[in-house]
Amino acid sequence: MKTVKTLFFAIVFAAISPLAQAQDMTADEIIDAYFENTGGQDNWEDIESLRYTGTANVQGMEFPWIMTMTEDGKQALVIDFQGQKITQYAYDGETMWTTNFMTQEAEKADAETSDNMKKASKKNFISPLLNYKDKGYEVELIGNETIEGTDTYKIKLTEDPIMVDGVETPKISYYFFEKENMVPIAIETEVKQGPMAGQKIQDSMSDYQEVDGLYFPFSMTQGGQAMQVTKIEVNPEIDDAVFAFPEKK
Amino acid sequence: MKKLVLTLFALALIPLAATAQDKITLKGKELFGDMRARHIGPALMSGRINDLELHPSNSRIIYAGTAGGGVWKSSDGGATFSPIFDDYVQSIGVVTLDPNDPDQTIWVGTGETWTRNSVSVGDGLYRTTDGGGTWKEIPGFENSERIASVVVNPKNSNEVYVGVLGALWSDSEDRGVYKTTDGGKTWNKILYVGPSTGAADVIMDPTNPNVLYTSMWQFRRTGWGFNSGGENSAIYKSTDAGKTWNKIHNGFPGGKLGRIGLAVAPSDNNRLYAVLETEDKAKNGLWVSKDAGKSWEHLNNDFGLVVRPFYFSRITVDPRNPDIIVKGGLSGSISRDGGKTFKNLGQMHSDIHDVVFHIKDSDIMYAGTDGGVYRSWNGGTTFEIVENLPLSQFYHISVDDAEPYNVYGGLQDNGSWWGPSSSPGGVEARDWNSVGAGDGFRVLKHPTKNIIYSEMQGAENVWRYDVDKNRTKTIQPLPRKGDEELRFNWNAPMAVSAHVPDRFYMGSQFVHRSDDMGDTWTIISPDLTTNDPAKQDQSKSGGLSVDNSGAENHTTIFTIAESPLDQNILWVGTDDGNVQVTQDGGKTWNNVTPNLVGIPANTWVYHIEASVHGKGTAYAVFDGHTTGDMKPYALKTTDFGKTWKNIITDDIDERAFVRNIQEDYENEDLLFLGTEFGLYVTIDGGKNWSHFTNNMPLVAVHFIDLQKQTNDLVMGTHGRGVIIIDDISPLREIDQEILAKDVHFFDTEPITMVEQGGFSGNFGAETQFVGGNKPTSARIIYYLKKRHTFGKMAMEIQDMEGNTLTELNPGKSKGINVVNWNFNTTTPKMAAAKTFSFGGFTSPRVPAGKYKVVLTKGKNTYEHIIETKYDDTAITTLAERKKQEEMTQEMFDMVEDLAYMVYEIGEMQDKAKEVMENNPKGKKTAQKLYDALEDLRTDLVVTTGDNYVASAEPELRERMAELYANIAGSYDRVSGAQLQNYELIKEEFENEKNRYAEIKNKEGKKFMRFLEKNDMELSMDSKEEYLEDK
Repeated sequence: MKTVKTLFFAIVFAAISPLAQAQDMTADEIIDAYFENTGGQDNWEDIESLRYTGTANVQGMEFPWIMTMTEDGKQALVIDFQGQKITQYAYDGETMWTTNFMTQEAEKADAETSDNMKKASKKNFISPLLNYKDKGYEVELIGNETIEGTDTYKIKLTEDPIMVDGVETPKISYYFFEKENMVPIAIETEVKQGPMAGQKIQDSMSDYQEVDGLYFPFSMTQGGQAMQVTKIEVNPEIDDAVFAFPEKK
Repeated sequence: MKKLVLTLFALALIPLAATAQDKITLKGKELFGDMRARHIGPALMSGRINDLELHPSNSRIIYAGTAGGGVWKSSDGGATFSPIFDDYVQSIGVVTLDPNDPDQTIWVGTGETWTRNSVSVGDGLYRTTDGGGTWKEIPGFENSERIASVVVNPKNSNEVYVGVLGALWSDSEDRGVYKTTDGGKTWNKILYVGPSTGAADVIMDPTNPNVLYTSMWQFRRTGWGFNSGGENSAIYKSTDAGKTWNKIHNGFPGGKLGRIGLAVAPSDNNRLYAVLETEDKAKNGLWVSKDAGKSWEHLNNDFGLVVRPFYFSRITVDPRNPDIIVKGGLSGSISRDGGKTFKNLGQMHSDIHDVVFHIKDSDIMYAGTDGGVYRSWNGGTTFEIVENLPLSQFYHISVDDAEPYNVYGGLQDNGSWWGPSSSPGGVEARDWNSVGAGDGFRVLKHPTKNIIYSEMQGAENVWRYDVDKNRTKTIQPLPRKGDEELRFNWNAPMAVSAHVPDRFYMGSQFVHRSDDMGDTWTIISPDLTTNDPAKQDQSKSGGLSVDNSGAENHTTIFTIAESPLDQNILWVGTDDGNVQVTQDGGKTWNNVTPNLVGIPANTWVYHIEASVHGKGTAYAVFDGHTTGDMKPYALKTTDFGKTWKNIITDDIDERAFVRNIQEDYENEDLLFLGTEFGLYVTIDGGKNWSHFTNNMPLVAVHFIDLQKQTNDLVMGTHGRGVIIIDDISPLREIDQEILAKDVHFFDTEPITMVEQGGFSGNFGAETQFVGGNKPTSARIIYYLKKRHTFGKMAMEIQDMEGNTLTELNPGKSKGINVVNWNFNTTTPKMAAAKTFSFGGFTSPRVPAGKYKVVLTKGKNTYEHIIETKYDDTAITTLAERKKQEEMTQEMFDMVEDLAYMVYEIGEMQDKAKEVMENNPKGKKTAQKLYDALEDLRTDLVVTTGDNYVASAEPELRERMAELYANIAGSYDRVSGAQLQNYELIKEEFENEKNRYAEIKNKEGKKFMRFLEKNDMELSMDSKEEYLEDK
């Protein structure tokens, strides 16, 4: 059955390519094609939780990490430093927190950051594009662009505005869908805070592979840092403790 | 369904079949993949600003429209800026926010409007509706060249007025004031007075959007002169939203007018200010109207109010006080008494083009100058520069052969400089050195001595600077008895000889040669120009206001190229269209101008590149923009100029006039073209051109050099500083065979593992621009036929036996990919502890030798061998280095041995704990083991404290890792102290191992017997398994 399915995907991808170039597609058609081709809208919607296991390779240093997230918006990124598990950040549905590198103790994120997370985390589980209309988001097909040497559709996504240092600021990102495969291969955003504020960064996605009938990118960059995914678990057993803010000892 | 799929297949196959036999021609990003340009600035002197714009309600947001470097946005009140317009033409006239949607809707009119000789050109009107994320060109303004004003009705965003100043060097019917009432879909020209008169300012009454004022300006520039003023210059007013216009000159002197700057006080709509250029010097300068233009009164003609009107006609009125006005100028002027008297603004870079007041606090001001954006916090008395605007405008650059090589160049109004192409921590402001005053142009390094030649405008001074002795000498050719007056271009040509190191050339109308570094000069040519007297009288240039800066000197030599193959072959190009060549060191000259093909007469010869591929081979590029001809021109000859071939194709923007060409030293078909709209590259001798846009804005490229040792392409841009494309050598190799392959690795020379380690403390640089460095790592370069999207793709480095040393993150782009490897393998696995061992973040370097790069892509594997070598500047002997490598490995293993020992201890402790909790019978035995192990563990690793000031005393793990890291990370031999420390740590570890063995033998044995008896097991990973799981 699996072989058949893969074959079917191959046909769909092959077919979409000329179709896409032969006629203009709308943003909705592109997004629908993406979810359909990568496993089906219904199957994406059915996901309750995800766990990614992977490594970040920083010139010889390898950091294993585990990213856990649930449909109610909880998420946690735990990184392994010399055998110690450090929660880079976590959000338990109310509070976002991080680990202080010096004391290795948990500290709450500032209220604004937590609020921004609260607004978006649940909606953006899986992808902000999934049922974007129900979330009150807007998309617009901007046009064509060559990204990483290949033809893409550029789609603008407008999410709920976020607060930046006390000022409400639009949250806009651009998704680049490779025409040949109709999956996003890059996302461009503007950095809102920190020393890079105002600069645009483009994160890329590749190595799409199948897990339980769904296609996920197994290689990506985040803020320029390459992240390799080794395993994705769909609907794994999750202990909520991973999200919870540990009270100070 | 099946049918549909089949049909789709058929569709898919048709184009494939049609193209299968064709040549593969990749263009632009498809070819260049992830080859990216890097910018090194500098930003310390920044560059010319044309226009500043503030957000009407969010005081953190500021926009700067720059003369040649695009649009920059600050979101932090002017502390730092980021570019938001890099994909478009970089010469900006005006930036306007829609007052009804200031976060999202921004209008940009391109083409700078302070019309000096060296200005760049624009190509129309743009708008974003998402805060700068995407821009759309608004049709109808393609030929506007310069847009001075965009005004949006604050009550209706669909109603917009655009003031087109228009072409600088030619007539144009695109000038005038335009209006849309449908948000830019359709436009009407609502004010036009003639093909030589453009709109210099369009402003709107702050309370009544039907009232508009426009200043129209009659002007023209040529290659040899400038004319400001005429009967058509005027101020017009409309009270019916642009339907009808009337001149409002009541009180002005009659006759011709020049450029007029115009402003209305935001807090008093009857108060208008105008700066005039008239035939009557006494009536020049500032005028005021207090009745909305019905009548005018002359206020002031101080120097600051009349200086260079074409350059400084900008008035800003304090938004809260109609009596406080600022005017741009050489220093900028401010009045607090309604314009009666003025004082200079505080010290900053000269040539102030725009000043804006903070939206809430008039003490805070921002100024746009020839040297960047400045901030004042005290009402204009003190100014400080914004430090991260790398807008430097180079006329010329050159490079030397140092490691890292230096870049030399001269800047518009900002002197001459040199700085490193890479520097610890990045190329910072402090890395740049000044080597000339005034406007800077060509800067050349002596080929063998530590001496730099530089110059200022018109060769008024040419300097020879001895870097080591810090001595400067002026060496420009001086007229001798009987000589004609020498005519030097504003940007006078200089050249050093590749054959005679002390030889130095300069060009006036003659070629001057010196064989003693400029001390004495010989003229080795007749006048090589057209010597047309009609183009030689600059004393009257300027029009109403004489402006004889020397910038318009004409009929001069502009480029001199000595053949790299023969010192007697010299090529010369002149600003009035002559190409001349000598093959006998200047005894005879051959004017080959009549042989040129497709070049209009008298078109500026901007650059000649004498080829390394043949004595008779040269490239010449021609720039006609000072006659209004923007077309790109580049020709090639292989027979000393007898015949020429056009190498320009339709791939190049038809308005991208060319200033420079650079050939590759190895592949004759690889050429780089510097145009007004960025860089173009050909890999087939000019049959096809690709626009290089990877991190490369469409900035005017004035000069290109190819650094020989590194194959780095170095560009001097006029608006974005120095931009470098590291190592273009892959482009040499690309051919049809490579393009047809799925994956192709490019060969690289053995790669030096650079051994340098210094410090780069950079306090105080938080808001500074820092230029990117060239990675010193190995560059693994490969071509992918398709972008990799589906399936696994991975890359690793293996030794020649196939053992994995480290994994790398491969690029997935279609086209060329570049992956950097810093010669390191992976870090050792560290023993678990309470805190981090910082020594454990060091990974060992590989020894010199051959390595396999293994790329797996789906089911396919591709291998490529690279070779590394030790640095020639190494401070160790080979034997010492081998010892260092050996000890590094020994310490690495020791660190991992300890890690495994601590792992074993932990596993045993866990089991003991389990027994203690669940088996009362074994509790005592387990407890004993646990305690003994814990006692040992606390001596092995840190078990308390934090990573900062509450840190515990280092234990064995920390001290061992520290020594490991110091040995592994050093480029020197292992020191005596390290060897002694090694003995200590080794012995200590031996002792701890013995301790551990004893515990295992005593408490451990008892515990194991207990487990056995109770059918329990202690299982743990083998050492290999443990280390595998990094």
